[in-house]
Amino acid sequence: MDDRTRQLIFQTIDQTISTEDFVRLQEMMEQDADVREHYLDAVSLCESLGEIAGEPAGPTGEQVNSPKLDPASTSDASQQRPRARWTLVTRLAVAASVMFLVGIAFWLGRQSPQARPVPSRSGYSVADEESEFRIAGHATLRRAIDVQWKRDSIQRMEGEVLPDGRLAFSQGLVEIDFFCGATLIVEGPADLQIRSDWSVGVSQGRLRASVPPAARGFVVNAAGSEIVDLGTEFALDVSPDNARIEVIDGEVELRGGQFDGKHLLTGQSQSLKGSSSGPDLFDALSTATDLERRRESAQSQLWADWQEHSKALETDRRLIAYYRLSPTPADRTILNRANNGQDGDGLIVGPVVSTLGRFGAPSSGLDFDRAGARIRTRIEGEFSAYTFSCWAKIDGLDHRYNALFMGDGYENGEPHWQIRDDGRLMFSVMVDESQDIRHFNARDQRVVKDAGLHRVYLTPPFWDVSKSGRWFHLAAVYDPIGRQVTQYVNGESVAKEEILDRFFIDRLRIGPAEIGNWGQPFRDSPWFAVRNLDGVIDEVAIFHAALGSDEIHHLYEQGKPLGY
Amino acid sequence: MQQPDQQPVSNEAREQLYSEFVGLQARHDLAIRRFVRFVMPSADGVDDVMQETALECWKKFDEFRATGNNARADEFVRWACVIARYKALSWQRDRVRDRLVFSERVVTRLSESALDRVEGRQEERRAVEHCLTKLPSDQRRLVLSVHVPGESVANIARETGEKARRLYSRINTIRTRLMECVRQQLAGEAING
Repeated sequence: MDDRTRQLIFQTIDQTISTEDFVRLQEMMEQDADVREHYLDAVSLCESLGEIAGEPAGPTGEQVNSPKLDPASTSDASQQRPRARWTLVTRLAVAASVMFLVGIAFWLGRQSPQARPVPSRSGYSVADEESEFRIAGHATLRRAIDVQWKRDSIQRMEGEVLPDGRLAFSQGLVEIDFFCGATLIVEGPADLQIRSDWSVGVSQGRLRASVPPAARGFVVNAAGSEIVDLGTEFALDVSPDNARIEVIDGEVELRGGQFDGKHLLTGQSQSLKGSSSGPDLFDALSTATDLERRRESAQSQLWADWQEHSKALETDRRLIAYYRLSPTPADRTILNRANNGQDGDGLIVGPVVSTLGRFGAPSSGLDFDRAGARIRTRIEGEFSAYTFSCWAKIDGLDHRYNALFMGDGYENGEPHWQIRDDGRLMFSVMVDESQDIRHFNARDQRVVKDAGLHRVYLTPPFWDVSKSGRWFHLAAVYDPIGRQVTQYVNGESVAKEEILDRFFIDRLRIGPAEIGNWGQPFRDSPWFAVRNLDGVIDEVAIFHAALGSDEIHHLYEQGKPLGY
Repeated sequence: MQQPDQQPVSNEAREQLYSEFVGLQARHDLAIRRFVRFVMPSADGVDDVMQETALECWKKFDEFRATGNNARADEFVRWACVIARYKALSWQRDRVRDRLVFSERVVTRLSESALDRVEGRQEERRAVEHCLTKLPSDQRRLVLSVHVPGESVANIARETGEKARRLYSRINTIRTRLMECVRQQLAGEAING
């Protein structure tokens, strides 16, 4: 591509091109794919620049508006970039009803050219990249034991941030930490409405509220009254017919309803609705200690169950490699437990730290948060399909790419499985390393290294900081026969993509590879080199077959930690 | 499930169909817009074509649903881009006398590659932002100022006393450098994927 052609392309975009030049450029575009690609690159760049310039502040926070200009002097129409931004609005005025609505949707879509934040189900929003990351929520579900969520309520997991809304379960025990500092231990059946950092409505449930000084003023709404905690602890029992409160320690004020203004002190109780029950009502109410005890016993039960499942899994003939990182071995070798797998033991390299696994105290996992941390392995053989499965807890996605399982050289048929910094899972297999995928004919430009033909299969974002510290079951299924790549989070399929002819490969290999890091980055750009996972992994399984969605779900169900 | 062939379609079904459409349209508006921009020589007319495309898509949405498409994102975008290509073409054909427009052959060729590019916008945008940070701040200002709404090179020329021609040439040098940086950045992603 010569400079002249480049100029013509930019002149076209800027609408400063002469008719003769435009005719020339069109001819070149018709005949030369390179010119077309270059034109598309240039348009993309200018559109991105337009989006960035249209924002209030530039990427570095500085204002991008050029030095102050007199608006009256901006009338040089021939030189001005066309901005037909408002024409549609006037059109809308005359549009017919359906057309009008389409126009609205369309108009909304175009009001801000940059991607707008889309509220997700979990209630957080990712604003544009420059602004601060925010999470909408009022409380954390700290612990959840044996909980059966009601069918019409959202199912929550331990550690989740709770936005405002309903929380209903038919049995079990949960502990909720409100951001203001108040803690509720609630026994099911319960039906709560989280309203803010400072208030919750209870239409059913037995609960104990602990309110430290920092949270004084925390409000529980029940049976038409507002219960304002003036410090320490009270208990509440709300059923369809009865509602009763007892102050365990400290002071509570009732507001609204028939008891407006009444204060209750330690040991005092008040029926808010229905008949008053016996005085020992709250004796059986769970305390934090009870909760912890129940949790521990449930935890060890799960841990024992999982060990059995895990033993059984070893015999699956489709397993290539199976690594249990729990318990951490005395030496640095992580055995390949797959009965069928030959060799393929893993070796802990660098500052890998042993930490808690997903079953808490009895279990362990390996933390890769320091840059050199990795588990190296080497898996020989050629396979016709892959399934990767692992349990991981992610603390942060600080690198552009964060490794789960990576083939060293990324040669033909070798996999890369990682998480991008925007929370998307990326799974890819090298299809043809010798092929030049670049459209651009860089005649007088620097030589860039051959990338090879491959395809990155992405999922929608599944992780953001609100999920830090939580365990996830992740799986990727590469199925050349079914021509599909399916990726899963916690047993549910989150992305399915067809394998196109161009990216088809069914002779799969692994060779030297790493868990939690990438071995041989052959690109020397520093911002891609560091890929260790800032997080913990405690189980990795690789199959030479495409597991079905039921099987993946089964793996999740058998391996899920407490509170999932 | 919607049965668009059965007449008349109930209001309720129509509304449901409509909200499904609006959802898809809103979600993919930017991708389709980018496609339209690709097959037009400038940003001029993109709004018009987008509006006509949206209306046409809604008119034909029954057909789209009836052909067994389950409203999956990529199917919708592909389908909408076929309509968009047609609309972009006829918009340009209508204006062949009074402006510079692409020929049918160029539009057809461009649309082949354009379709593959509409989904990569965010990666591209990120790469551009990254590359911008590597520029000296005066260059960054200059290259962005062309794109500030209501701004023009003529204005900057007047402000700075530089010739517009000269400014354009500087801007295009910076753009070329940015394109190269973006390409490497994206290729890096491909290599490192």
